[in-house]
Amino acid sequence: MSSVSFKGTREGLSITLGDGGWRAMMSELTAQLGRPGAQSFFRGARVLLETSGRTVAVTQIEELIALLAQHDMTLVSVMGEPHAQANFNQLRATIPPPELLEEEPPAPRVDDSQPLVIRRTIRSGQVVRHAGTVIVLGDINPGAEVIANGDVIVWGKLRGVVHAGAAGDLRATVGALLLMPTQLRIADHIARAPDDKRVLRWPAEIARVRDGRIIVEPWGTS
Amino acid sequence: MPGQVLTITSGKGGVGKTTTTANLGVALARRGKRVVCLDADIGLRNLDVVMGLENRIVFDLVDVIEGHAKLRQALIKDKRLPELHLLPAAQKRDKTAVTNEQMIKLCVDLRNEFDFILIDSPAGIEGGFKYSVAPADRVLVVVTPEVSSVRDADRVIGLVESQEKPSPQLIINRLRPAMVKRGEMLDTADVLEILAIELIGIVPEDETIITSTNKGQPVALEDRSSAGAAFLRIAQRLMGEQVPFQVFHDSPGLLERLARFWKSQ
Repeated sequence: MSSVSFKGTREGLSITLGDGGWRAMMSELTAQLGRPGAQSFFRGARVLLETSGRTVAVTQIEELIALLAQHDMTLVSVMGEPHAQANFNQLRATIPPPELLEEEPPAPRVDDSQPLVIRRTIRSGQVVRHAGTVIVLGDINPGAEVIANGDVIVWGKLRGVVHAGAAGDLRATVGALLLMPTQLRIADHIARAPDDKRVLRWPAEIARVRDGRIIVEPWGTS
Repeated sequence: MPGQVLTITSGKGGVGKTTTTANLGVALARRGKRVVCLDADIGLRNLDVVMGLENRIVFDLVDVIEGHAKLRQALIKDKRLPELHLLPAAQKRDKTAVTNEQMIKLCVDLRNEFDFILIDSPAGIEGGFKYSVAPADRVLVVVTPEVSSVRDADRVIGLVESQEKPSPQLIINRLRPAMVKRGEMLDTADVLEILAIELIGIVPEDETIITSTNKGQPVALEDRSSAGAAFLRIAQRLMGEQVPFQVFHDSPGLLERLARFWKSQ
C-alpha cells in the first residue's frame, strides 16, 4: 500500500502523507519521483504538502525541500497540522522566496487570463482578486482592496488598496483618473499615500516600478 | 396595495438610526399613512423609549415569531397618532432568536396591515443587520458627516447591494452647517462623492433631539424644530413627492448676534 499519494490541484501538486514512518515515506517519494517519465512530468511543480494530521519537524521539511529541489520542484505550502505549518513558515522566513534567488528577475508568469471588468464601485470591505488585469469602471473606495496579477486600471477614483502584479510581475502598473490610494503595491514593492493631505492632481496618473521603487506620474507621459 | 418595508441601518452605532426610525414613523403617520415601527435590535431595545411607549409593552417581536402572541396583541398603538404603531424588540433575548426567513414571513403579514413598515436595524453587520435587511424593499442608510461613519456606511451599502437589493438611499444626519462652512466637517458633497447613492434627506444637528428623545416625544410631532421639519420632508420624499433640498443657513440667530455684540464691547 502506498504511504504517499499525489494529486494534481489548481494550485499545484499536492502530496499527502500516509501513516508510514518518515524514512519509509521519503524513500518511497524518492522512488516515485525517480520513476522513468516522472522527471519531466513533475518538473517545475509547486508542491503542497498535506501532512494528514502528523507533525513534521524543521529538519524533515528541509530534507523534503532538498529532495524536491533535485527534481526542480518547490515546496510552497504545508497543511494539515499546525506545528508542521509553523515549522514551514519559520523555515520559509529564513530563506528568501525562490524567485528572488535568481540573478535575473524571472520571466513574469504569463498572464493568459481574461481581464476582469467591474462596472461598479468597490466598497469598503469588498475584495477583488483576479489572475489577470482588473479594470474598474467606478471607484475603489477606502477600505476596499483589489489584488491582480496583472495591471489595475480604474476609470474613477482610487482611494482603497491596490496590489498589481501580485504574482511578482514588476512590469505591472496601476492607473486611475484620481490616484489617491491608501496603499499601493506592485509585485513586492509597497508605497503608501503621503501623510499630508494630497491636493487633487489632474489629469489621470499611473504608478509603476522604476529603479526599485514605485513612482507616480501623469498618465501618457512615458 | 401591500405596504413597503423600509430598513433603517448604518453599520456604525450612535449615528441616529433609532431617532430616524421614530421620527419617520411619526412624520409618515402625520401624513395619514398607516405605519409600524419595528425594533429589530433584540436585547438592546430603544425604539419604545424614543417613541415614549415603553410602559405599554406586553408582548414583543420574539413572542410573535415564536407563536407566544398574536401580531395584534404585540402591536402597540401610539398614544398621539392613531395611524402609528410599534412592534417592540425583546429585551431578554439576543439576535440569535430570529432568522432571516422569520423576519420575511412576519413582514408578509405586516404588509397587509400597513402602508409602511419601518425596521430599526441594530448596529453592526452581523445577524441582526442581516435579518433586518432581508425583508426590505428599500434600505435607508443613516450617516453622520464623519469619516468613520462614512466608511461604515460604505461597507453596509456594499453588503446591501450584494444581496441584490436596490441601491440604498442616504440620510445625512447631524449636519452642522457652521462647521462645514469653517471646513471642519465633511459636507454633503464630500459624503455623496464617496458613497455615490441617492440622497433622500439631510437632517441638521438639533439640540432639541436630545430632550425629545429623553422625553419620548419625537421632534417630528412638531414643525418648529429644524430636525423635525427635515424628517417631515424625508417622509414626503418616501411617499414619492418632490421636495427640494433645504439649504441650511448658518447665519447666526438673533441671540447669537446679540451675544457677539456684547462680547465685542
